[in-house]
Amino acid sequence: MRFWRQAFEIARVDLIVERRLGDTIRIVVPFAVVALVVFPLALGSRITLVSEVGFGIYWALGILFGMQIALRQSAADTPERRDLQALLGLEPAARFVGRSLSGGVLMAGFLIVLLVATTVLLDPEVPDGGWSVLVISTVLVAIGLTELGTLAGEVTSGLRSRTALASLIVAPLALPLVIGGSQSVQALERDTGILTWILLLIAGDLALAVAGVALAKPLEEATR
Amino acid sequence: MTRVRVLLALAGAAVAVGLWLALTAPPDALQGEYSRLLGIHPPAMWLAFLAFGVTAFGSIMWLIKKTNRWDRLAAASVEIGVIFTAIGLFTGMVWGQAVWGSPWDWQDPRLMSTAVMFFVYLGYIALRNAIDDPQVRARRSAILGAIAVVQVPLVYFSVNLFRTLHQTQSIRPDGSTMPDEMLVAMLVNMAAFTLLYIALMAARLDVASAEADAPPESAVAGDAVRPPRLSEVEDV
Amino acid sequence: MDPIVEFENVGVSLGGRRILAGIDLKLAPGGRVGIVGPNGSGKTTLVRTAATLLSIDSGRAVVLGLGAESGDLSRARSAIGLIGHQPALIPELTLIENLTHVARLAAIDTGRIQHALEVVGLSEAADRRASACSFGMRRRIEIAHLLLTKPRLLLLDEAAAGLDASARQLIAALVRSVGDRGGGTIVVSHDLNQLDSLCDHVLTLSSGRLEEAR
Repeated sequence: MRFWRQAFEIARVDLIVERRLGDTIRIVVPFAVVALVVFPLALGSRITLVSEVGFGIYWALGILFGMQIALRQSAADTPERRDLQALLGLEPAARFVGRSLSGGVLMAGFLIVLLVATTVLLDPEVPDGGWSVLVISTVLVAIGLTELGTLAGEVTSGLRSRTALASLIVAPLALPLVIGGSQSVQALERDTGILTWILLLIAGDLALAVAGVALAKPLEEATR
Repeated sequence: MTRVRVLLALAGAAVAVGLWLALTAPPDALQGEYSRLLGIHPPAMWLAFLAFGVTAFGSIMWLIKKTNRWDRLAAASVEIGVIFTAIGLFTGMVWGQAVWGSPWDWQDPRLMSTAVMFFVYLGYIALRNAIDDPQVRARRSAILGAIAVVQVPLVYFSVNLFRTLHQTQSIRPDGSTMPDEMLVAMLVNMAAFTLLYIALMAARLDVASAEADAPPESAVAGDAVRPPRLSEVEDV
Repeated sequence: MDPIVEFENVGVSLGGRRILAGIDLKLAPGGRVGIVGPNGSGKTTLVRTAATLLSIDSGRAVVLGLGAESGDLSRARSAIGLIGHQPALIPELTLIENLTHVARLAAIDTGRIQHALEVVGLSEAADRRASACSFGMRRRIEIAHLLLTKPRLLLLDEAAAGLDASARQLIAALVRSVGDRGGGTIVVSHDLNQLDSLCDHVLTLSSGRLEEAR
């Protein structure tokens, strides 16, 4: 009970801070949409490619910009706050779960907005039944990416070039999420293997959750 | 406040008249009912251009005079301009889908330059929100506001400078290409939206002035701090 | 009664460098020890070791009856209060929200928060964001937090630096309160006058070693 109380409290405060700062909505979302606009301009006369690769662009931008959302919470950590949390008896695993919860909410919201923008601006081809698969895989990727970002933030806590380092850790580890997300939609076109990819995403999210909870305490001790 | 309510009421009435004219004018032979968007799309973009022009004016005046009311003018005008650019883009996409068979053309200069202008002014708002210090915020956004306005003539004249799907100006020195009823509807809506801009600006500036006149929230140790109750330390 | 803190020949290294060596320290219940020393002498390291936030490399350290080998320091940590160099508030939350957050994490009755704010003189500033408050106000909130948690071991690391006279009196009242409940306090400061007024005796930390102050 105490574990979940602490986790929800961390998530609650994190969402309040985000609502007041507004970095995700005011900066990351418009920036990602602007990046979406760059692709058709860069393709020039080969503009028809855009609708063919539209969802690929979506997953790529979702991962790259989503990382900034996933890493922003740990960027606000100060050594004094971490000391205080330790003395208050905050379980490191509860902090991981709490941050994953709040980050997951923001991440899912961001990816859904990006998905809508991609659909409107790039007009990608959507196979029958594609929308429900896209939404499900988006939510699952959001959860996995948030867990990765939270873990990477813990691993790089207090280091000099932590922002770049954390992104470097998250990006390659996020590739399976990208593959899972894009393949789950392409599987619709082949009419086979959709469930496999969705289950793989779920398994990945669970594995990251277990890793985050199990490694939380050793990581906290290691970063003192 | 009464002044604002009167302006909003007048603007509302003017917009209602303009929209009624747009809805009752004979539809275009080729575009059908979609031609009625003439009552919203061009006036929305006109309002956006006006708003960004006022922003530039306010920005330049702030850079010269350094008084807060010019900063408030510039910032209020951008907010309204961004909203109406979004309305213009949305109605344009609806119209484009009906007339061109596609809501968007990535190679169209008018569409792309309008989208770029929209994002630049979104960036202006994000910039202001990221700065706490009023003087720094005013200076940096004044510089951006003064520069960003060059996009307005670029967007407006893009249909003349480049080959584009978007139609050229309907009103030219040698006359109009539209039927009179449609022309009247568009012009009345242009005037109505101008009045709407003035009303919205009045309302927004009232709020901005009230925020500026409010007692400062930041407290250097003092005004909200009371002596501690040392005898009650044990009782908490 | 068992000492609040007992260090025997304690050594601590950080980043490959020896910071503390051969530290002997005993803080009895009700005791108040002051520690003074030049910059870089390891005062903050000593405080954080006593707070169980740092591990020792050598010697024996027992805090609130628990040694490092016990494997679960959380029982000790819940009875430790620390005020460090910088306030640990969340800038985007108001003062009362910061206190509520702390109370919820520590499972403390949030009904006491309003009284704590009144005692530290900040009830009228409760709804101000921490980022809009002065350093002194944020320090008072940290004191309010300790009034709520009622620690048995109080650690003050330059806590009174930059505070006005009434806030310093508040810290002194807090130290007395901890002592009256049978707890102990370690105060680190450059201000010898303050240490003399707050503490039973003062030690000097120099080159990682503790000595009686001259």
